[in-house]
Amino acid sequence: MKPLSEEQIIQNLSQKEDTSAQYYAAWWLGKMRSRHPQAIPLLLSTITALNDQPVDPDRRGVALNAIRALGHLNKPEAKQTLIDLLNSKDYNIREEAARSLGLMKQRDAVEPICALLSSGLEGAGHQPEGSPLLQEPCEALLKALGDIGLNEPHVMQSISPFVDHSRPLVRAAACRALLQLTKDNRWGHELITLLKHPEALVRRGALLDLGATGWLDAVQEIQSAAIESSLKLVALRGLAESSQSTDVLTVMDTLL
Amino acid sequence: MTADADLATALDALDRATDTASLVIAAQTVVQLHNPKAAPSLIKTLGYNNPAVAAVATKGLISLGNNIVPQLLESLDTNNYGARAWIVKILATLRDPRGLAVLLKAIHVDIAPSVRRSATRGLAELDLKNTEQNDDLAQCFAGLLHAGHDDEWVVRYAAAYGLEQRLPDPSLTPQQHREGLMLLQGLASAQESVTVVRMRASQALDRLSSA
Repeated sequence: MKPLSEEQIIQNLSQKEDTSAQYYAAWWLGKMRSRHPQAIPLLLSTITALNDQPVDPDRRGVALNAIRALGHLNKPEAKQTLIDLLNSKDYNIREEAARSLGLMKQRDAVEPICALLSSGLEGAGHQPEGSPLLQEPCEALLKALGDIGLNEPHVMQSISPFVDHSRPLVRAAACRALLQLTKDNRWGHELITLLKHPEALVRRGALLDLGATGWLDAVQEIQSAAIESSLKLVALRGLAESSQSTDVLTVMDTLL
Repeated sequence: MTADADLATALDALDRATDTASLVIAAQTVVQLHNPKAAPSLIKTLGYNNPAVAAVATKGLISLGNNIVPQLLESLDTNNYGARAWIVKILATLRDPRGLAVLLKAIHVDIAPSVRRSATRGLAELDLKNTEQNDDLAQCFAGLLHAGHDDEWVVRYAAAYGLEQRLPDPSLTPQQHREGLMLLQGLASAQESVTVVRMRASQALDRLSSA
């Protein structure tokens, strides 16, 4: 199969009949970091489907991919739409919006994200009966605060309670954010403890969190962790790029 | 008990194990005997689609050394995709030139980036010094050049690593040397979108120019 051209992708996103072509096109534009002038307006236009009653599940899928793509493309035109989506009734939409705003390091998102977390472990971090989800997408919200990087007392206060959450991956997200904001090794050591957790899923999460922090003390621990090399390389890529340290490259070479 | 009797007992246990925990323990027992006759059974477990068992078997097979390479190559015809990926990793680690064709094929057609990455590392490290065919180095080098244009960053990273290993080889033709350097320069430049690949390619260029 011949790969689609950018023009074809743009056409596929602008039509409305074939949602699977739209779904792929939205993903593609983000993955390829498209600079096509129509990319942002078209991605934003797919998000209006979330206002329909009821929301069409296929169009919701396209919108979720569009939200992710907007994060990768990181253009100011998308900022307000993404911030508004933090108040969506849809958990996954709030989650993806938070991720994209974190990726964009959007400072204007800090207050609304802190507001979602302000109810703490009893509110945002509570798991309602009969639901696998917490009340708020806490992992994504905490990580976004860390990625945005606004180190102010009220941001710390929003994050701190979650280092005691019952779910290890929420604790990892809180430690990751605090390590990014404070550079205090204590939070790095907490993440290294989680890197040795009996569940592989937690080890992988902690690994990627360490990779995102740029905390170089983690390099040896990452090298020897009981996790597949592919994921270690992704985490070490994060460390190498944020620290610009060539020592990390030496470790990466051993994992190829 | 003789070594063969120990092996027979251990292989029997491996045959009868059904869940992951007992498979891993049985495979570890077989591996600890360090007996080349265990190779066929260990190779068979690579096809079980069970990463925990395959990881144990892979380490065991690597420790048995280059004598098992013919068996590995034979098994490729019958084994499934999952097994093939592990075998590429084993061949890459053993550095045996007989693995060259398999590694080259993996770089060109394998859908899993981690397999193309391992195969690229294998091309970087294959021991080609004692091979009679001058062609081997040329093929190996062409494989690295191909990997340098892979869609996945980690394969391009491995290609930068590999070019650093191969470019000092005096058997390369001036044309090959030039192509390799140009590729590394491309990977170190703004043409390359991934920072860590640029970092690794720049490091390779620095080391090559100061060597």
